[in-house]
Amino acid sequence: MSNFELALWSFPVLLVLIFLRMPIALAMIGVGVGGTYLVIGTPMMTLNQLKTLTYGTFSNYSFSIIPLFLLMGQFATISGMSTSLFKAAESFLGHRKGGVAMSAVGACAGFGAICGSSLATAATMGQVALPELKRYGYPDSLSTGALAAGGTLGILIPPSVILVIYAILAEQNIAKLFVAALIPGILAAIGYMLAISIWMRLRPNAAQVSPRVPWPQRLRTLAEIWPVLVIFLVVVGGIYGGIFTPTEAAAVGAAGTFFTALFGGNMSFPKLKEAILSTAAASAMIFMIILGASIYNNFLSLTQLPQLTSVWVGEQGFSPWFVLTIVLLMYLLFGCVMDSLSMVLLTVPIIFPIMVALDFGMSPDDFGLWFGILVLIVVEVGLITPPVGLNLFIINSMAKDTPISATYRGALPFVATDIIRVAILATFPAITLWLVWVIDAL
Amino acid sequence: MYRTLEKIAGFIAVTLALLGGAALLILTVLTCISILGRAAVPLDIGFGPIRGIYDMTEIGIAAAIFAFLPWAQLQEAHARVDLFRWAIPGVMDRVLDLLFNVAMTFVAAVGTYRLYLGMQDKLAYGETTLIAQIPLWQGYAAGLVGATGFVLVAGFCVLRSGRRLVGLEAA
Repeated sequence: MSNFELALWSFPVLLVLIFLRMPIALAMIGVGVGGTYLVIGTPMMTLNQLKTLTYGTFSNYSFSIIPLFLLMGQFATISGMSTSLFKAAESFLGHRKGGVAMSAVGACAGFGAICGSSLATAATMGQVALPELKRYGYPDSLSTGALAAGGTLGILIPPSVILVIYAILAEQNIAKLFVAALIPGILAAIGYMLAISIWMRLRPNAAQVSPRVPWPQRLRTLAEIWPVLVIFLVVVGGIYGGIFTPTEAAAVGAAGTFFTALFGGNMSFPKLKEAILSTAAASAMIFMIILGASIYNNFLSLTQLPQLTSVWVGEQGFSPWFVLTIVLLMYLLFGCVMDSLSMVLLTVPIIFPIMVALDFGMSPDDFGLWFGILVLIVVEVGLITPPVGLNLFIINSMAKDTPISATYRGALPFVATDIIRVAILATFPAITLWLVWVIDAL
Repeated sequence: MYRTLEKIAGFIAVTLALLGGAALLILTVLTCISILGRAAVPLDIGFGPIRGIYDMTEIGIAAAIFAFLPWAQLQEAHARVDLFRWAIPGVMDRVLDLLFNVAMTFVAAVGTYRLYLGMQDKLAYGETTLIAQIPLWQGYAAGLVGATGFVLVAGFCVLRSGRRLVGLEAA
């Protein structure tokens, strides 16, 4: 078997192991080490690499942003901001048809601005919004679907752990990616609200509305959420303005959400301990996957599969847009069954060089940002598509006596808006890139 | 006997995770101080950024991540895909789980041993970090604490999945 064939065969082997419920990181390490052994015939190279690889990966300054962002998100969860955000959104939107569900989506968007994780956003907002939605008589399918979709705003709206990983793998500027993600993130929230509005128009009596809130009181609820705005502006603005490194920004954000929780009277030692343990589990999981993906990708580059594939795609004379469509469809498909982070870590080192070599009529920098946002969205869709949509599971487990099939059904309108949004953003790159251009020109 | 081991594994995992968390919190504070110091440089009041804060961040985060590994292992927090769980018979699922835990323990043990060798290399060459000149072996040594805990807890998880297989433990 040639090295190239070996690399090709490693995919199905990896998938079978993963589908047998082997931890993904372990599967990647196993296949990567095994494959490398078959290529060079001795385990010594891998063993020698291992002396520095684990420490080198865990101490990589670029990656150090990840545990700090996770910690920031955990503190945000404790901070009580979720309730304030929901109240503020409800005072503006609650009196509309479907307004309470829209408020939940709006609050998710706000929470996404201080939390870079989709699961944490879904879990936190679910706790606050699910009982309210129930109270106003929303059907279980709609409320669980809306919150699962709203949770994805946690990674769509910067800061975002997935974007950080993409930035490192594709060697893109994190600050610019965050700025590029902003308008697509807001579009996502608007799209979800539209989906709710259409749903309510089709079933006008499905739920009640909350009473209209007078403007002075609306402004008062808005005043409650200033920490969210300040933290978001300091973190994203600080990175963008070159005032601090992304890692420093994450530390500042963690401190900011910590003090918000502390001064709001929501911080306690048991909660701090819980926040640390959650951060610990999530960080260890992510770094194991990073380690596994780098071992597996080392094996692939040893076989030259990425280079050969890139050359092959170039020689076929496909239209760049055709290739982009295929790649995005592939992500959508795999997203239904794979863990989003593993997917990004496994594929971006292979796919990105192929894509960047194609001519989309824009500078490589612009392309890197635009493609990153597209990948982020299609990967995020995987969190709310059956059968393996983690957000669906989280929300469903919180909504007692809602069958998972109802949650699946409820998520479909939101998946539809996601797919429409990807199509629009892919067709008009300027929507994503405009804000970056404007701020760059300042 | 098993209950004692369970308690010990839990203690190791929680203690290390909290120590790692403490490292994260300390780094957060130091980073904020360093940023304030950098902002104060133009004022010339004898207060500046912390020298080598990036080096400290790298070492601290690495040590924290190693210390987080046992907790993730004990909690079975490592990402896996449950898509085909319905198709895997219960016994086979538990046998596979036992095998995967053995594999994880093996990987942990080899990784920790190599990390130890790596530390000896750094000690022999006297390598230091770029700015603060912190000897690199110290970072490796800090990592070894968590890595060793990972091997121990992974070993316990093998025992646990073995007991689940024979029905002594609820899955």
